[in-house]
Amino acid sequence: MNIINRYLLKTVLSPRSLYEKWGIDTARLKAILSVKLVMDDRRPNTFRQVQQKKQDKPVKSATLATMAMSAVLGLLFLFAFRVGSTYTTHLTTYFSMYIFMLASTLIADFTSVLIDVRDNYIILPKPVNDRTVVVARLLHIIIHVSKLMLPMTLPCIVYLAIKTNLWGSAIFLLFIVLNTLFTIFLVNALYLIILRITTPQKFQSVISYFQIGFAILMYGGYQLAVQAIDEAALQGYDVSGIRYIWLAPSYWFAEAWQGLYALSLPPRSLVALLLSLITPFASIYIVIKYFAPSFNQKLSQVAASSPEDRSTQKAGKTIIPKATYSKTLAGITTGKGAERTGFLFTWKMTARSKDFLMKVYPSFGYIIVYLVILFFNSRTVSLQSLLTNPVQGKVVILSVIYFSSLMLVMAINQVPFSERFKAAWIYFVTPVKTPGLLISGALKAVMLKYYIPFAFIISVPAIYFFGVIIIPNILLGISNLLLICCIMGYINEKHLPFSVNQSIANKSGSFIRGIFMLIIPAITGLIHYVLYNFTIVVSIAAILSMTAAWLVIEAIKNTGWQKVKDFSE
Amino acid sequence: MQPIVSLKNIWKSYGSKAVLKGIDLDIFPGQVIGYIGPNGAGKSTTVKILCGLISDYEGQVFINGKNIKDDIVGAKSMIGYVPELAELYDVLTPAEFLGFMANLYGLDEKIASDRITKMMIAFGLEANMHQRMDTFSKGMRQKVLITSGLLHNPGIIILDEPLSGLDANSVIIVKELISKLAQEGKTIFYCSHMMDVVEKVSDRIVLINNGVVLADGSFEALKLQQGDVSLEKMFSSLTATSGMDNAAEQIMSSFD
Repeated sequence: MNIINRYLLKTVLSPRSLYEKWGIDTARLKAILSVKLVMDDRRPNTFRQVQQKKQDKPVKSATLATMAMSAVLGLLFLFAFRVGSTYTTHLTTYFSMYIFMLASTLIADFTSVLIDVRDNYIILPKPVNDRTVVVARLLHIIIHVSKLMLPMTLPCIVYLAIKTNLWGSAIFLLFIVLNTLFTIFLVNALYLIILRITTPQKFQSVISYFQIGFAILMYGGYQLAVQAIDEAALQGYDVSGIRYIWLAPSYWFAEAWQGLYALSLPPRSLVALLLSLITPFASIYIVIKYFAPSFNQKLSQVAASSPEDRSTQKAGKTIIPKATYSKTLAGITTGKGAERTGFLFTWKMTARSKDFLMKVYPSFGYIIVYLVILFFNSRTVSLQSLLTNPVQGKVVILSVIYFSSLMLVMAINQVPFSERFKAAWIYFVTPVKTPGLLISGALKAVMLKYYIPFAFIISVPAIYFFGVIIIPNILLGISNLLLICCIMGYINEKHLPFSVNQSIANKSGSFIRGIFMLIIPAITGLIHYVLYNFTIVVSIAAILSMTAAWLVIEAIKNTGWQKVKDFSE
Repeated sequence: MQPIVSLKNIWKSYGSKAVLKGIDLDIFPGQVIGYIGPNGAGKSTTVKILCGLISDYEGQVFINGKNIKDDIVGAKSMIGYVPELAELYDVLTPAEFLGFMANLYGLDEKIASDRITKMMIAFGLEANMHQRMDTFSKGMRQKVLITSGLLHNPGIIILDEPLSGLDANSVIIVKELISKLAQEGKTIFYCSHMMDVVEKVSDRIVLINNGVVLADGSFEALKLQQGDVSLEKMFSSLTATSGMDNAAEQIMSSFD
């Protein structure tokens, strides 16, 4: 255990007599916590849930790395002091960002780190009472959070110490603690609600969707904030003027800070102070007292999506899958045999693999948010001007089409990876002649699954607004994109779908590939822009590009075993 | 004699499906119970109730004459549980993991580390004691798990498929261990699908299916009831549904 963990452990265990009064077994509490901390330190850390993990050595000091990252993030938070002119406004902004950041981190960490389903088999059958387990969990969360949040708040503590005085930064620290307790309660409550409205079996996937939503929301919020910065307006902003500001807990904390800092407590500050002192402790008390027993029970159900539950499906009733959309598409676009198998397999896996969802869907969200913001924010582009100004129409259509290539590339790049990569033995024991067929099937599945709906969404309004004249251009755009993706698929190292360990994602050349991913669509888009008005040329180009895409796919199909990466254990 | 474990009319359902339908069992000290039944019969639910993992069941469970709902922690400290899946914190080393287990059982540290070392040596894992378990084979993990269930010298030992992944030599060790533990007066609750092992190690066999006890008695007593056949045959004649009688035949005929 490193020094930081040891110190934090000592701190959280210090109110020993209080714990004992609550019926908590402190020796066991300490045992659980120290083991959890050791394990945290050996696990690739949690800040980058959504990104690719690049870990191949045994992890040692994950803690220190995470702390450094938080500190950098904390510097960015100082932006809050540019908002408004009063400390109440600054801090309301700061605390809001803090709560949001913490909540989104915790939602991710809760499932992966803090609630370890193995606890059900390892800790729960042992003579430890429920309350000890829950408090251990809570304290583990608190330590985990402190490791993220202390470095994150450090810049602000220093800033306040300089800008105000030591007293100011000391009470700030107090309010950060209160904020943290409050956020932990929020996340806990959210978990309980989710557990209540869904089955424990679906719990994990609901949480994943929450995480995806959070990540997108955060990105959207960030983009909006950046775009919306109007220095003058921000400076004059005062949160106290907002009517429903009392609904925002971050305001209570900020107002209370202001009151304590100025050492004068008008009724408004006093109410805020009371609220911000009582709420966190009351909510933590509620968690321990009322949620604790049912929480453990529910959690053991999350783990116990065990044979018993699954066998509830009535025996004797065989479910015959109906002919589906995917099957029809597969029938049209793929040849019989390995290619169709690859197509259908990839189609299903992309919908069901949590890994894939977590990696790909957030980036879809980011790109869509980015596109939306781009248009809503640029003051020159409106529906009216799009129609009247042909150049603008051109730019918008083409940039939407080519920019969206990123989505497709993201999805394609993720297909080879899976946590269950070992299951790829199936490809290697079955007599598949040309593995290229599996790869081309997978490629087609991803392109059709993620691009057809999108192409539809952009072409319908485009045709509606600009008339059928635009069809060749849209076709060229789409087929260019598909061509780019096929080429990417061709030049990348050949991996069978869902056969590579996520954690050893190949690092070499990823930078070059990233650049390539951006530059090629941009150049193609530019050329397309030049040709845009020559409908005949565009039509011919569209046919050529489609032919090229088809040829590349044919080439991929012929990939033999010697080019495919070996089965990796 | 007072039963050490006593289940009285245990009912448990998941949603609308009843998994246990009135299980009654009295288990006496020193018995080795072979607890068998087909998949989904309710074996692991019973085990989970005994270990205090499930508490929303109907009926009563007594351990040493005390209802476990009154003192679940006390009950847990008398039980050693070796779960079926090799669930352990594999970023820890066996020494760290077992030390943690010992702490949870409230064992004295000196005694615990002494026992851990001795047991690990006996299992041939002394060289691996300070390696992280994520590189361990299934058998090695199983040995660590078995050790973790015995560490606090419990009176009741619940083993759920304890032999899975073990090599032949280790199987012999564990089987011997079971009979030695029983001689010491420990009660062993042995869940398994391996009928030949159950037949040999247990002195009382409890067969459940669909949440009810179908047969209960020593292998000899069962033979008197069911005819002089192997436990495997008995098992299938008691639990197989009609369609499964000639399953192998049907499989062969599906090639035609």
